[in-house]
Amino acid sequence: MKNKIDFKFLFEIYITFLKLGSVSFGGGYAIISLMENEIVERKKWIEKDKIIDVFSVAQSLPGAIALNASAFVGYSIAGIPGAIAALLGNLTPSVVIMATLSIVFTRFSENKYVKSAFSGIRPVIVGLITYAAYKIGKTAIKDIYCVFIALLAFILAIVFHISVIGIIIGGVVVGLILYLIKWKLNIGKVEKVIKVDKLNIETTVEKEGER
Amino acid sequence: MSVLIEIFLLFAKISAVSFGGGYVAFSIIEQANRTYNWMPEIELSNVLSLAGMSPGPVAINGAVGVGYKVAGIPGIFAAFLGIALPCAIIVILVATFFFKIYKYPAVKNVLYVLNAVITGVILYAGVSFALTSGILFSGVFKQSGDLIASGWNIIVSQIHLFELKSILLSGVTIFLLIKTKVHPIMIIAGSGIIGVLIF
Repeated sequence: MKNKIDFKFLFEIYITFLKLGSVSFGGGYAIISLMENEIVERKKWIEKDKIIDVFSVAQSLPGAIALNASAFVGYSIAGIPGAIAALLGNLTPSVVIMATLSIVFTRFSENKYVKSAFSGIRPVIVGLITYAAYKIGKTAIKDIYCVFIALLAFILAIVFHISVIGIIIGGVVVGLILYLIKWKLNIGKVEKVIKVDKLNIETTVEKEGER
Repeated sequence: MSVLIEIFLLFAKISAVSFGGGYVAFSIIEQANRTYNWMPEIELSNVLSLAGMSPGPVAINGAVGVGYKVAGIPGIFAAFLGIALPCAIIVILVATFFFKIYKYPAVKNVLYVLNAVITGVILYAGVSFALTSGILFSGVFKQSGDLIASGWNIIVSQIHLFELKSILLSGVTIFLLIKTKVHPIMIIAGSGIIGVLIF
């Protein structure tokens, strides 16, 4: 009996995310406001505060933001089966549409008009990617060190043909090292602050004694 | 079968490291294509263009497109599983054990470096896409694509610099995206028509 109800609910989750997946051209951020509308306002599956947390987490994790967010919301409302239902729902339209386009395109890839259409589309994709770099850069580049890191990553990839996976893992490692260094420095700072505090307290105590 | 495993592993790797969105995946796919020699660069740029214009996350679309091109329908499933599995596992682990992961100071520091790295990598993805499509430096570098025969190619002392029509289209795209609220899909549709007219 319980299983039956669960499956019905899971199916509803699947369909909901299928709808979300099929209208989110350009992926990523586009789906976020749609998801908020559907999941928080209409279905009331999750509170508004929690969905903001979900999106923050989804951005911090590897993988497509839309997928992470879907899996998270699915998990929050129905555990692991919910996560899988949401993930599959979100992926279904992309996979079906992309598979159809690929199959159709392979048929006509030698067609003169299709070829010229793609010559027009390719530069636009270059523009889209450059714009994505600009948009991420606006929030990611916080100071001159970030500019240096970004340039270094770019040069390593394009001049030295270092694998992008290696560069990203390198970035994670450098970030962790940075954290450890800061952490050590901070311990020093905290001790100093305490010492200063003690002195202040001592001096005030002495002053009070003089009175 | 080994091709299917290759595809599965590649997209599992992509899924596990692609912080910051789909275009990072594009650059990894391009590099993998050079390693495995799956298809000519220009065909890959067509597949990735298709991925950019379909709905849904571009990384998933790219995976499905490459999977199909390399190994047909079974390739689609291999790529799909590769992308979905790490995502599901990571999310379930994080949701179960440390939900507010972004609140840990270590994560903040990692993201500080990582987001800058991602910016550089996405820039690389864009330049690399332009290189392999013959928009920039055709025939100059190892990864350069073929000359766009019907384009206005700017060549200085026998070195191809860029193809003017494409550069104009890229420039207009960036301008529209920054200055207006035109939906990318409209720009793509428009550029397809323009492409038929001018190339």
